[in-house]
Amino acid sequence: MKTITGKTLTYRWLIILFVIFSTIFAGYELKNLGIDADILRSLPDDDPDAALLKRIGKNFGGNSMGIVILETEDVYRTAVLEHVRAITDSLGQIEGISSVTSLTNIINIKGKESGFEVGRLVDEYDLPETPEALEKLKNNVKANEMYRGSIVSEDGTSTIIIFTLSDSADVRTVAQTVLAKTQALNIPEKLYYIGSPMLVNYISDLMRRDLMRLLPIAFILIALILLISFRSVEGVILPILTAVIAIVWTLGVMSLLDYRMSMISNNIPIILLAVGSAYTIHVLNRINQLRITNRDEAIRKAVEFVMIPILLAAVTTMIGFVSFIFGSYLNMIMAFGIFTALGTFFASMLSIFFVPALLDVTTSKIRNKNLFTGKIKKSFLSEKLLLRLNVLLFKHPKYVLTTWTVLILISIVGMFFIRRSVDIQDYFEKGNPTREAERIMVEKFGGTKPVFVLFEGDMQNPEVLKTMLEAGEYMEQSPDIYTTQSLADLIAQLNEAVSDEMGIPDDQEKIEQLWFLLDGNDALKRFVNEDLTEGIIISKFKSPDNNSKKVFAGYMNTFIEQHSREGCRISITGMPFVDITMDRSLINSQIASITIAVIFSILLVSLILRSLSSGFFSAIPIIATITILFGVMGFTGIPLNIATVLVASVALGIGIDYSIHIISHFNSTLKITGNARLAIEDTIIVSGKAIIINVISVSTGFLILVFSEMVPLQYFGLLLTLSMVGSSLGAMTLLPVILILAHRKKNKDHFNPSL
Amino acid sequence: MKYQNLIPTVLFFLLLNCSPVTAQNADSLLKYMDNLMSAPKDKVATMQMTLTEKDGKVKTKEALLKQKGKDRKMYKYTKPESQAGVSTLSLPGDVMWLFMPAFDEPVKITFLSKSQAFTGTDFSYEDMDSRSYTEKYAPSLKPSADPENYTLELVPRTKKSNYSKIIVTLNKANNYPIKMEYFDTKGTYFKLATYQYAKKGKYWYAKEVLMKDLKKGSSTKIVMAEISFDQGLKDDEFTVKKMME
Repeated sequence: MKTITGKTLTYRWLIILFVIFSTIFAGYELKNLGIDADILRSLPDDDPDAALLKRIGKNFGGNSMGIVILETEDVYRTAVLEHVRAITDSLGQIEGISSVTSLTNIINIKGKESGFEVGRLVDEYDLPETPEALEKLKNNVKANEMYRGSIVSEDGTSTIIIFTLSDSADVRTVAQTVLAKTQALNIPEKLYYIGSPMLVNYISDLMRRDLMRLLPIAFILIALILLISFRSVEGVILPILTAVIAIVWTLGVMSLLDYRMSMISNNIPIILLAVGSAYTIHVLNRINQLRITNRDEAIRKAVEFVMIPILLAAVTTMIGFVSFIFGSYLNMIMAFGIFTALGTFFASMLSIFFVPALLDVTTSKIRNKNLFTGKIKKSFLSEKLLLRLNVLLFKHPKYVLTTWTVLILISIVGMFFIRRSVDIQDYFEKGNPTREAERIMVEKFGGTKPVFVLFEGDMQNPEVLKTMLEAGEYMEQSPDIYTTQSLADLIAQLNEAVSDEMGIPDDQEKIEQLWFLLDGNDALKRFVNEDLTEGIIISKFKSPDNNSKKVFAGYMNTFIEQHSREGCRISITGMPFVDITMDRSLINSQIASITIAVIFSILLVSLILRSLSSGFFSAIPIIATITILFGVMGFTGIPLNIATVLVASVALGIGIDYSIHIISHFNSTLKITGNARLAIEDTIIVSGKAIIINVISVSTGFLILVFSEMVPLQYFGLLLTLSMVGSSLGAMTLLPVILILAHRKKNKDHFNPSL
Repeated sequence: MKYQNLIPTVLFFLLLNCSPVTAQNADSLLKYMDNLMSAPKDKVATMQMTLTEKDGKVKTKEALLKQKGKDRKMYKYTKPESQAGVSTLSLPGDVMWLFMPAFDEPVKITFLSKSQAFTGTDFSYEDMDSRSYTEKYAPSLKPSADPENYTLELVPRTKKSNYSKIIVTLNKANNYPIKMEYFDTKGTYFKLATYQYAKKGKYWYAKEVLMKDLKKGSSTKIVMAEISFDQGLKDDEFTVKKMME
């Protein structure tokens, strides 16, 4: 240890230069770091539902469909139709949009006495103007389920304009142009935007805004807290500098490895700012505590003292983050875990090597005695708070223990009320335009969660098409499926128009010849592949409720088991199915990551401190905190979602640091003094101060996330703050009380109240 | 001073003189083009259509074409095999009949929208419409530096068009179009048709037309093979009964 710290100071310039050049290199790489807000891309390929969903999205363009919702009092007015036409025309002009379907251009095939008529539902060049013509249009829409609830809502207050992106289109550019062009029309009706391209663009903007807005605030607040705590420039600059370098390195590596910022990894800078500054706080705090005038010696001693706790704290924090690899469903959560762990490693290394090196070249050789003499004793924290805390702990250890026990018991009850949410509506605050769009789609257009039934076989075979038609009808009997669309519907409709016969023709030749009327129709690509070997039923699922999704999955599986056969293979996927797996994974991932984090942390602490009891003791406060955290989630209704599922393990990783600092300080002081009471008192006073400063700064960083525009991140910030406060309180009250009670029996004289 | 006063007067007369001449020229040029294209009394040909998707995938279609005048047109498809025997018959008054052998009965189709693709090609029904260009569009002559070709701008006479304008590059020597550039209703250039002409007997005809959809990246090539003109086709060659044979 001495050798390491000695060499750190010897090679201080080398270390500083290495850090400078690495930061410049990583900083340069940041320019290539993109944002990826597409949740679909984050779905794992080893999950059959997710893999099939991705495949269908790619082959049938289902993931590249955007929707503009126009909401007004009554759609059936000439002025409104003019606006729908204007939007349709504007979207059609946009580079990257391959097709647009709306009320003013949708095809209408009508059977007539002597044949059939192929035209538009609305003549786009001659919009209906008279009340009679508008009423006729209304009746036409209401009479046809291809339009009713699909293009115009049943109550006639909303209509949608659907656009499909071409394969090579840049999603963000198209979505931004859609927004710009439609808003430039200045139409009086309300416009909402939904569908994968618009959602990806919107979330990307939110992420960018969040980062640009929240990160500077977090910097300023943490700097203020550090200034109040250390009352020195180095006390502010060094922790923040360490965190900033760790952030730049981490994001630089992400960019270098071609990873992009996701909804979750967007938080890495704020988390690293909070976590990364902590290690330097401990180094600086320890240097300040030492009453040594020689600078080099003070730095060396301080680093020697805090190196093990810092390394331990960093490794346990990393374990907390890395534990997401096991059991997490979304790739973006895994990436978040790995890169935040890497950032934590960078921050800890910087605090052990870079901070001492920098201090060695920037501060004077002889330290001013006033810097440290008596400061600890006179500070508010130690004088007013920590001394009194010591008194409380030694006077009423059982009361403290009872309070914690009661809290834990209440929280265990609360845990049973935790609800889970994988619904995208819950990502946005009430009144948010995307949430409103989602609401309108659910209430008036049968939802937004796509459901696809894939048929593999000859798409011109009558039996295959009949099964497809039957499957569509079967699906529509489910209360959560409003309507279905498929190739079989198109063929049945054409057959009726041509031959007056309902359903799919029995003769394959007839189907092949009906194809003459479908050839070249862009809409066909949404339903059948080029080789005519695969076709899909497209539908939307209404309910956000997970049980309904499970019921529907069971209902559809019955049909598939009965009808899937050689030459007509049927499989089903869609967001409800992915949601079921994601929901299940929330629980599995939570249990897996906590178990792994707890076991590894206990083992690691036991190994490094060479004491199994120290390992167990260090885990008690954080396990208690996590129990309370789940209790709070249960009682307050904060759901377990893709962001809050991270909290427990992150809290465990960071929160255990406090216990490690307390345990290691206690052990080393006990070794020196041989007095458990003195060791506990010194630990509370010295390490307690660093912990409090750290908790306030870390929590402030996390609390900033409350101002995020995305609800899961608000909860994430709030719960992490709660966890930090809880685990620090646990480390400074529950853990010392356990130590007091454990050592009081053995060394009664040390715990004499008169002392 | 005198000259200064004279200039606007000269310019005025020049402009006064020029405008009607240009308009008249544009009209007559378009009429020449129409006449050239509809010169044969009738024609019989094999029409080969090659459809190329953006990703390079190619589909082919073939049909036997019979046409008399502007209004009577019959296509009998021979390829692809699955659609062999499917026939369409266009008659005066925008009437179209469709016959699919598997269904026995012919059906009348009314295409209310001309912007739809013609049997899956990059041509729209408006492009394949038999009516003359003069009937559909108002022409104006545009200045051109090209010594061999005129540039005509065609603007639809009604608002019921897929296009805001078509720029036609017209061969001066023979009055046939060698290029047509199509602009959508917002004025964006989105389709290009190029023509290759050949002479058979006394008639010039478009032996090959290539239509490119610049937005979709697809193209359709139509090649006229085994063409013959003025075969003396009668009106009763263009009946529903004949279509079904």
